Amino acid sequence: MTTIAERDVALVDLVDRLLGGGVVIAGDITLSVADVDLVYVGLRALVSSVATAEEKGALPRMGHAL
Amino acid sequence: MIELYAITDDPKPPAPPLQAVQSDGLAVLYAEAERREVTSETLWRHEQVVEKLMAERDLLPVRFGTLVPDAHAAAQAVAERRAELAISLDRVRGAVELAVRVETREPEAAPAARAESGRDYMSAKARRVAKVRLVHDPLALAARESVLHPGPELLRAAYLVDRDAVDDFVALVRRLQETHSELDVLCTGPWPPYSFAGESS
Amino acid sequence: MRDDKVLAGPLELDPFAPDRARLENSLTRRVNADPESVERGLAQLVLTIVELLRQIMERQALRRIDGGTLSEDQVERLGRTFMELDKRLEELREEFGLTEEDLNLDLGPLGRLL
Repeated sequence: MTTIAERDVALVDLVDRLLGGGVVIAGDITLSVADVDLVYVGLRALVSSVATAEEKGALPRMGHAL
Repeated sequence: MIELYAITDDPKPPAPPLQAVQSDGLAVLYAEAERREVTSETLWRHEQVVEKLMAERDLLPVRFGTLVPDAHAAAQAVAERRAELAISLDRVRGAVELAVRVETREPEAAPAARAESGRDYMSAKARRVAKVRLVHDPLALAARESVLHPGPELLRAAYLVDRDAVDDFVALVRRLQETHSELDVLCTGPWPPYSFAGESS
Repeated sequence: MRDDKVLAGPLELDPFAPDRARLENSLTRRVNADPESVERGLAQLVLTIVELLRQIMERQALRRIDGGTLSEDQVERLGRTFMELDKRLEELREEFGLTEEDLNLDLGPLGRLL
């Protein structure tokens, strides 16, 4: 039997996926997405790919400035 | 308007009220769109539909809330990205997604904030990264692919795991939890491969 | 089917629970278009990008330290730079009345950015 806690916890992963993942096909999206929201969508995808790329050692090392 | 649920190359037709429209070997699974408020219940219901489909075929889930005018429009949208979608389908074939989140009992800010020197600050950060790797590295090895997601947790990641390797993966998660009792390790799923449906990183 | 999504987890699931009110609110969110919130929204966006860059740079610095190619002095300076940046960001956040949570950015339906 699922407790409320388990459902709530799974909800975080559900929202992450349904609204932030999946195939993006040009279409009318029911959620109101303002221009600013679209920037955040892009940022989020960027963060994911950067984090994953770093993890795989695919990003170049920093310059000497620092 | 119709709402898109998933894309597949399996020819098996879906059960009503879902329908399929074909496009050069790929099928888009859809249903009539309903006007509704977006609540957690709506999301769960949508998810149930996709998971039922996934139980019978490999697929790429479509982002929630994707509406197009009709089947023709859906077929066209898919045709435009046929090659890329076919690659993604191959990528996820025979696999499902598992979500993992890890939290540490030690608040992140504390050690770094207490740092008295630059060296201490970097050491505290390094310890945090090391903790993440303790869990992520073995899981990544046990999965086909993995992707790190932004999130407030120490680790928030998605793993693409062979359908028949899910039990072993979960057993590994449990072992890691036992080994690292100072961490909280959570695994949910199986999910349709939302995190692996886009372009390969 | 949705009933068994937790496959493994700690006894206390609290650390992983969502801020329920915030989640439901963001799912039915209306976009607020008044000028003050637009400015605040922009500040939030800019500071988030800076915070994002800070995290990326910090992680890259850690990799270099790990690689053992930096002197003690360089490590110290790197650490101090990031500490300063952290502090400066905190000040900027306060200036705009933003909390760390705000910068962690509730993306509305899309969840947190960082």
